Amino acid sequence: MTDFIERAKFACALGGAISTLEGLHHVVPIIHAAGGCANYLSNTYNVAAGYRGVGYCGGTMLSTSNIAENNVVFGGEGRLAEQIESTLFALDGDLYVVVTGCQVEIIGDDAVAVANRFKDRNVIGVSTPGFRGNALKGYDAVMNALVENVIEPAAAREEKTVNLFGVVPGQDVFFKGNLDQLKILLAKIGVKANTFFATGDTVADIRGYGSAALSAVLSPAAGLDPAERLCARAGIPYVNAELPIGPSGTESFLRQIGGALNVDPALIEAVIAAEKAEYYSFLERIVDIYADLDFQRYAIVAADSYYAHAITRFLANDLGWIPHLVAVNDIEEEDEQKLYAARFDDISSAAKPRVIFEQNAGLLLEHVRNSWPRNNNGKYYDALSPAYVVGSVIESSLAEKLGAGFLSVAFPVTNRVVLSKGYVGFRGALTFVEDLLTNLVSAR
Amino acid sequence: MAKYIDELTYDFARTVTPPVRETRIGVCSAYCGGCGQLTRDVKAGCAQLQSRKFAQSGGCQLNLALGIVSSFTNVVVIVHSPLGCSSNFLGSGGLRKTMRASKGKPAEEFIWLHTNMTEVDVIHGGLDKLRRAILYAETRYHPEAIIVANGCVPGIIGDDIDSLASELDGRISAKIVPVHCEGLKSRYVASGYDSAYHALLRHLADPIQEYGQVFPDEGRDALKRYNISRTVNIFNVGSNSSGDEAELSRIVASLGLIPRVLPLHASLDDLARIGEAALNVSICATHDDYLLGHLKERFGIPYIIDTLPIGIRSTNQWVREIAKFFGLEEEAERVIELENTQLQEALKPFRAVLEGKSVYVGGGELRILTTADFFARDLGMKLTGIKAHNVDRFVEDIIDDLFDPNLQITVAAGQPAEELNLLKKLKPDLYCGHGGANGWSSRLGIPSIPLYGQTLNYMGYLGAYELARKAAKALKNTNFSRNISRNVGLPLSKAWFESDTSDNIKQSELAG
Repeated sequence: MTDFIERAKFACALGGAISTLEGLHHVVPIIHAAGGCANYLSNTYNVAAGYRGVGYCGGTMLSTSNIAENNVVFGGEGRLAEQIESTLFALDGDLYVVVTGCQVEIIGDDAVAVANRFKDRNVIGVSTPGFRGNALKGYDAVMNALVENVIEPAAAREEKTVNLFGVVPGQDVFFKGNLDQLKILLAKIGVKANTFFATGDTVADIRGYGSAALSAVLSPAAGLDPAERLCARAGIPYVNAELPIGPSGTESFLRQIGGALNVDPALIEAVIAAEKAEYYSFLERIVDIYADLDFQRYAIVAADSYYAHAITRFLANDLGWIPHLVAVNDIEEEDEQKLYAARFDDISSAAKPRVIFEQNAGLLLEHVRNSWPRNNNGKYYDALSPAYVVGSVIESSLAEKLGAGFLSVAFPVTNRVVLSKGYVGFRGALTFVEDLLTNLVSAR
Repeated sequence: MAKYIDELTYDFARTVTPPVRETRIGVCSAYCGGCGQLTRDVKAGCAQLQSRKFAQSGGCQLNLALGIVSSFTNVVVIVHSPLGCSSNFLGSGGLRKTMRASKGKPAEEFIWLHTNMTEVDVIHGGLDKLRRAILYAETRYHPEAIIVANGCVPGIIGDDIDSLASELDGRISAKIVPVHCEGLKSRYVASGYDSAYHALLRHLADPIQEYGQVFPDEGRDALKRYNISRTVNIFNVGSNSSGDEAELSRIVASLGLIPRVLPLHASLDDLARIGEAALNVSICATHDDYLLGHLKERFGIPYIIDTLPIGIRSTNQWVREIAKFFGLEEEAERVIELENTQLQEALKPFRAVLEGKSVYVGGGELRILTTADFFARDLGMKLTGIKAHNVDRFVEDIIDDLFDPNLQITVAAGQPAEELNLLKKLKPDLYCGHGGANGWSSRLGIPSIPLYGQTLNYMGYLGAYELARKAAKALKNTNFSRNISRNVGLPLSKAWFESDTSDNIKQSELAG
């Protein structure tokens, strides 16, 4: 059962749908809802995803049917048809996608049917009312619509090609940098990555994704549904994978994807060896300061399931930090929680993290306090220190209270500007280390 | 001259929900033509009936209402709705922090909750979740008030947040403050101000109870009465900076009066003392006529709702109106003369740069009119056009008094497609616009300055100087917008740019 949430780190399904569409090149969203929804929800990700901006056609530029109370009484389908027609006149796009808000769904408008009347002019429709759930549900709905209306099932397979699902624009603040890096990384083992949202991806490219040999779902909470549908529709099998951050994660990711696509294991191992050598040639630079100033930290990670384990594994298995507490904010079902917690069996440090599932941001402080013996005015106290919080910007106050270092990675991120940066692979992990440690020396 | 506000009545505070602006005032939200024609059409009532064929996303009244109530000190805000309706807090939470810091208020973590309504709640109602959320806020954070704002979904399905508030009233220590701000109910986002102030009036404006004194002190009582008789409430808005508040307070204090800035960022104690003033002064009719009108009904405090003190002329007028009320006309003229002389001198270098340059101003009605007037009157700039988010009868006199009847005016909340179409033809040297609009102007290659900003000063004499300084600064290097326009495209079609903006305006089948 869902309950209220204190400081939820998501917009609604419509917000996720808009953010996803804004991530697609030359795609024009048409929002069938009250006039404020589109700009409001777009603005959530425009600001809170590291100042991502409105992109090609977002923010105040978003086309909307601007439904008001009279339409609730009389229905808004006529108004939507007029808005689609005028949008086709005013805005250039390779694809137009009608998405819906709560109001029109409750009154029973069939927006998808209206959109289908314009099918021959590159218009598709998908139902995305906010009450359907969080932004990840909106991502899934839009991706499902792409699978069913845009991606063309192909007879011939491109053997070494993988479709990547689960990287949600905006909800992953670093989505573009991460996907760009994944493309480069997979190309090194001869695999072509179909990424939807990376630099240079177009609608024409997406139409051809039906010939891929594999889909990989990089999030436990998003992307599975469209991957399954693509499997049913085009016969493309899928695997559950994880966002690879740093040597440990990237090695197993390359072996998993390469293995599934029958890449020569010798090539995979050669690439890993070369990449790892390069990674450590740079990491070597911080060895002295790490050792001299004792940069080993107790790590507290507060993130969605997409980032939580990926980050923790890097901090513990690669950087040698002590994984203390991991708070995951987007898995509600108990079975899925157990499954996710089991991922942490691969943490190789002597100290193992406590993994909790907590949606209410304000309760994290209490979880931290309960995770460690209190100082009862003793002269000697083994404190949870030095600590470092990797979370969203909401956890900055937690870090302040704990006197801990802090880096915002999970959504929302408003205390730094993100452009092309990403944290995946070997290269991304170097950037991650730069950002983590910069915060420890930035006051100098 | 009779003012439009004198025609209005303020007797809504006893009803649970406030009226929307469409019915209370009447609003034009779509227009394209000359200033003179617009005010004639507004007076005739036909401008209010227009809407558009191609519409772009404007604002939501919930956002504006939340902007006000979430600024209060020591409150928890609960948004009763599906998940999206509180999501702007994810981006704006940090702004609240920096705004409090700039006002010298202690840091305070902003807590908001969300009832996270799902499909099941749409069918069964979401009040149980809301009750749990209220109790969580109470036991966990002990705020002075728990503010419950409802979105469209509870509005449509009929969740009665007021009866839940009454049920819990007295059982918990926090005041429960329902705010009715369903976005769907009004296309005029300023309705959100009324929604927020309606809640303030009903739940937060009750005076602090005075008890009889054991040792009566007539001197102290007399001093208190005197202080109240000299106190001027200045009503702030979400778009002003702390610097603006300091400047307006300085000007009011220079008349020998006691300025007090309310209600944004106020504590509940400040709000309970809102009635302890001799005069309430608005800086923007769009924001607070509803609040000031009701405060007059409630406490008998007169108000001044006249102009927005941006630029020299408007600031002078604002000062004169306040001074007139207290019989301080002579003092005011002395202040005005000194301030104007100093400011005109200080503006000289900027006037030398800006004179003859063309400018386009877009945003909230009072702010654009006063800003545009300053650019033209005091800096010698050439107005190519203005755009108001909405136009109501509060500004018809200002438009008639200040502007050439042939000056091009459009009425559009956002609607960058229409605006860019015009800007491409008008090619102003500088654009000055509302948040969300300046980036589009940059993409078109027109340098811009923001129309308002939390850390930027615009109001009073010092604000006028800052505004001129900003405009001159923007022209010192226009490479950013030039480079962006050459390398980043716009989504608008060739056919759109070739069309006439006024073709997009239509007579509405129904008002709204």
